[in-house]
Amino acid sequence: MAITEPPTPQIHRLQQSSYLDAVRWLPPLSAFDKTAALALYDADTATSSLEVHSLTPQNSLTSQSRWTPPSRISSLRTSNSSLLAASTFSGSLHILGYDGSGLEPQGSIGEVGFHVGCVSGVDLVDDGSECVSVGEDGRVNLVRVVGDSSRLSHRRVFDGNGLVGFSAVKWASPTEFFTGGFGFNLKFWDLRKPGAAVSQFKGNWNRGKTSGIVHSIDIHPSRKHTCLAGGSSGTLFAWDLRWQQQPIILSGARTGEVATHSVSESEVWEVQYDRYTKPSNIGNISSSRILPAMMCSEDGILAVVEQGEEPVELLAEPCAINSFDIDRHNPADVICSLEWESVVIVTRP
Amino acid sequence: MPGFASGSADDTSRGAALVPVSTEPHPPAVYPLHLGLKPPISRLSISWSRGNTLRVSAFRQTTSVTKNSGEEIGGKVVEVRLSSSGDGEVSDAQWRRIEYGSVVPFALLQSRRNSVLSLSKMAIDSTPYNVEWLEYVMEYSKDINSLLGSSKLPPDSVIADPNKFLKIGEEPTCLKAAWELMEMFYAEKMFQAWLPERLVDWLADYDSLLSSTQLTVHSKLVNFQKELFSLQVIEDNPRYWEVLSSALAVGWLEIVVKMLRLHGSYQLDQLGKRETENGLVEAVAVLISKMPRLRAKIDGGKLGEVFKAKPDFIKAWEKWRGQITKLECSSFWIQCSHPQTREGLKNMLQIMLGNINSLRTATCNWIELYISHFLYIRPFTVGLESMYSLAQKCMLSKPMFVPHRLIGLLLGILGENTEVVLAECSDGFGPWMVTHAIELLTTASDQAEILLHEERYNLGGISVEELHRLVYAQVLSSHALTWQIAPIYLISCMKQGMGLLEILLYKQPLQHNQLLLKNLEICRLYELDNVGSNIMKIAGVNHWKHGRKGSGVFWLQQAEDEVCLNRIAQQLFDSVGKSISDESFKQWEGLIELLGSESKTSGGLEFLHKYRDFKKSLKQVHDGKITDTARQAVESLMMLMRNPSTPQRFWLPLLFDSLKLLSWWERPLLNVSQTNLLLNKLQELSLARLRPDFIKSDLPPDALNAVRLALATNLGRAILEEQ
Repeated sequence: MAITEPPTPQIHRLQQSSYLDAVRWLPPLSAFDKTAALALYDADTATSSLEVHSLTPQNSLTSQSRWTPPSRISSLRTSNSSLLAASTFSGSLHILGYDGSGLEPQGSIGEVGFHVGCVSGVDLVDDGSECVSVGEDGRVNLVRVVGDSSRLSHRRVFDGNGLVGFSAVKWASPTEFFTGGFGFNLKFWDLRKPGAAVSQFKGNWNRGKTSGIVHSIDIHPSRKHTCLAGGSSGTLFAWDLRWQQQPIILSGARTGEVATHSVSESEVWEVQYDRYTKPSNIGNISSSRILPAMMCSEDGILAVVEQGEEPVELLAEPCAINSFDIDRHNPADVICSLEWESVVIVTRP
Repeated sequence: MPGFASGSADDTSRGAALVPVSTEPHPPAVYPLHLGLKPPISRLSISWSRGNTLRVSAFRQTTSVTKNSGEEIGGKVVEVRLSSSGDGEVSDAQWRRIEYGSVVPFALLQSRRNSVLSLSKMAIDSTPYNVEWLEYVMEYSKDINSLLGSSKLPPDSVIADPNKFLKIGEEPTCLKAAWELMEMFYAEKMFQAWLPERLVDWLADYDSLLSSTQLTVHSKLVNFQKELFSLQVIEDNPRYWEVLSSALAVGWLEIVVKMLRLHGSYQLDQLGKRETENGLVEAVAVLISKMPRLRAKIDGGKLGEVFKAKPDFIKAWEKWRGQITKLECSSFWIQCSHPQTREGLKNMLQIMLGNINSLRTATCNWIELYISHFLYIRPFTVGLESMYSLAQKCMLSKPMFVPHRLIGLLLGILGENTEVVLAECSDGFGPWMVTHAIELLTTASDQAEILLHEERYNLGGISVEELHRLVYAQVLSSHALTWQIAPIYLISCMKQGMGLLEILLYKQPLQHNQLLLKNLEICRLYELDNVGSNIMKIAGVNHWKHGRKGSGVFWLQQAEDEVCLNRIAQQLFDSVGKSISDESFKQWEGLIELLGSESKTSGGLEFLHKYRDFKKSLKQVHDGKITDTARQAVESLMMLMRNPSTPQRFWLPLLFDSLKLLSWWERPLLNVSQTNLLLNKLQELSLARLRPDFIKSDLPPDALNAVRLALATNLGRAILEEQ
């Protein structure tokens, strides 16, 4: 334990008047510019919208642009090239561009045969040329984002016919990606080896009757062999392709064997590698050590978890934190969406 | 429904109604619907949806949509939101913000109450609510108050407009005004002596709210402020003096002083000519700003000298009045050449001396008159009884003809009538207000506490407090975004809370995993395992029916629903295992992976798991001719055949698939006892054929004989080998 208290992060709460389905930072268009995309849902009128807000220096959000999706947004991702991919509860996928003046729909796909029901996860390749989508229907689709066609085309990578369900997806490289799903199941896919997943992780660690769902996964660009996953019962673990059947548990998951620090006992809704927190012993960091990760949970915790360290709580809210995003260009800034219709911006010192 | 427990038939007075239901007829509301359907509409169905929304389903004639018109919609469902019950003062989103924000203070107070009560049970003699408890209540009240908007005026700008005496900040709300009233009377019990001054402040903050129904000092000021710019010589205008005395009467000293300084005699070019006049104006202004006040502190910008204790205050008060009398009798008045100024100032002195007639003329309604009494006639009024009788006196003198919800509430509080206070809260401010105000009311007096906590037969054995919490929880439950906070209120209801909580949890939609998990989280928090597992079962069946078989099985497993899992296993058997080469079998792999290896939770699906292993090894056998894998396949086969969970109708297909194993080229793979077991099973199967419920497999007709022959051959070879 450090004796001196670390400087506390600045916290700004911004009340909205509709439910937030997702929040993401957008890449900045100029040096001091901060913009975020908010997926909103107005329960009174049952309408949803995707809005781009700019964050003023006084820390208030002003709406810049707005686009209306056909139904609620289930997953939202941004790429480095100012592209947004939004999937909906009704099974469609939309690619939008943001150029500072407004949200420009670049194309959408939602025909029969794409997904049945909710598209639970999407992810864009960094250059924005391809998008992978997964759903509870067990389908994995690859959507090619080409310049100016209004209708996107898709290619089916896998169809689980509803026998398996996916909840999260994340690219590891332009040809490889990971998926997460029911039963703490993680799969590693390689587009060069079509037909099925290359390898998969079955979450059958010794934990009694309860199993869980992986809600969110993340891959660090420097460690493509390790998949970070968060899910039910406060579980945060990593799966290293090199040691396939043994999860590295970072938090939660009452294993009984190893005493891990448990940040939360409820659903971990989102995980991301935290590029802001430097690993504490940077000198002898081996590639098997899991890099610091940030997670948010149903019981209102936003925390940074590091392997073998005491977790650091950034927020402890009375309501659920449903999603968060770390600014890629300035990882000190974190934006979170809270269950009680508000956005919290955490600026770390 | 708790909502209808609004008093018995003979009890028509509003004061006694627990949840007042307005009986006045309203004009019918019209909601136009846009269905976008071509007539004729053959069927219309209307039902309640969540909260106060109606679900209207319209169906067209089915015959017209059968053939060519495939693109036309056969029907449509729309939801109609009936107008919100709010008064428009607070928007729906703001209400939700208040509802979210009040969860934490409410829950904190409940837990503190429980710990205080458990402590007081141990100590024999102490009262349950002590000073410490009052502090908790005060903290709670402040927390809630802060949610209702800030009453603080915006800070003065650097260049203040000298002509602008009235600062207009954030529009205050009646909700906040009402809460502050209750806070000062119920939560700030320790500061009774300062109550009159608190009321003065309260009116200063919220007089504008009363303007909606009647003339007030505030509205007078607003009007005069507008006029001000067109006035050349302000002190010639009788309205100036009228507004001045009105503002003085209700104690808005800083406004009065600021306005006095607008007097023409202050202008540099006139100062020489009107020296005496100016002196008098300034003297009055100084006297006003030196007014002694019995209160804790004074906010920045407000005038007066603060005295916390009564003896000091009395001394200062007498001295101050002496100075006023002295000024009144001074000879300078004769030298004052401006008649309006002279009369105006003298009238102001009369107000300060507490001349009842001057006060009566200066104020606009009884509440303002009441406040002026506290300021200038009876600053020591203590105790609700004397405050109430004074209020009645003022009401007689200056009645209000249009009722206002704040005034109704104030009268209820002054009259120490808990029922009236409750009814006014509920009527004027809705269930949120009642539920949260009850926390303050229970600390008001022992009688109030008994009244609110007493279990009542006519309410089905629950207390008034619980009734209102239940009503509020119903309101919360009816909205998609607030239902999650209803449990906080429900669990504080001892009698019916748990029951309603279970109903609430069962009623939540569970198509989306996120909502379902939030629902289950609440079950986990309140240890409602049974409800949780039922919800998982419902979700499992829902997913299964919608083709998400994996999710369905997952949830059923989580719920440990053996019955459903067995039924699903039966369904799976029908589609699995028709033949080894069946490609579709590959798809089941994922599902079987999901089932995990724990046989207990997967019920009948355990068979599928073993079946998968068997088929896998069998497939390997077909590919190559390795005896070891064949032996493994035999092991799996034997396990399947021995296991009671393997359905009988699978026996023959299993054996038929394993024909190659039974007549293995190298040596017999099954020993004697194993072969005997299989033969017995085969015998059983032949007998079962005669039964009416036997399900025929689509195997070739000679399959049974082929298997029997293979088994017999194997038996022979095995016997030979074992010898």
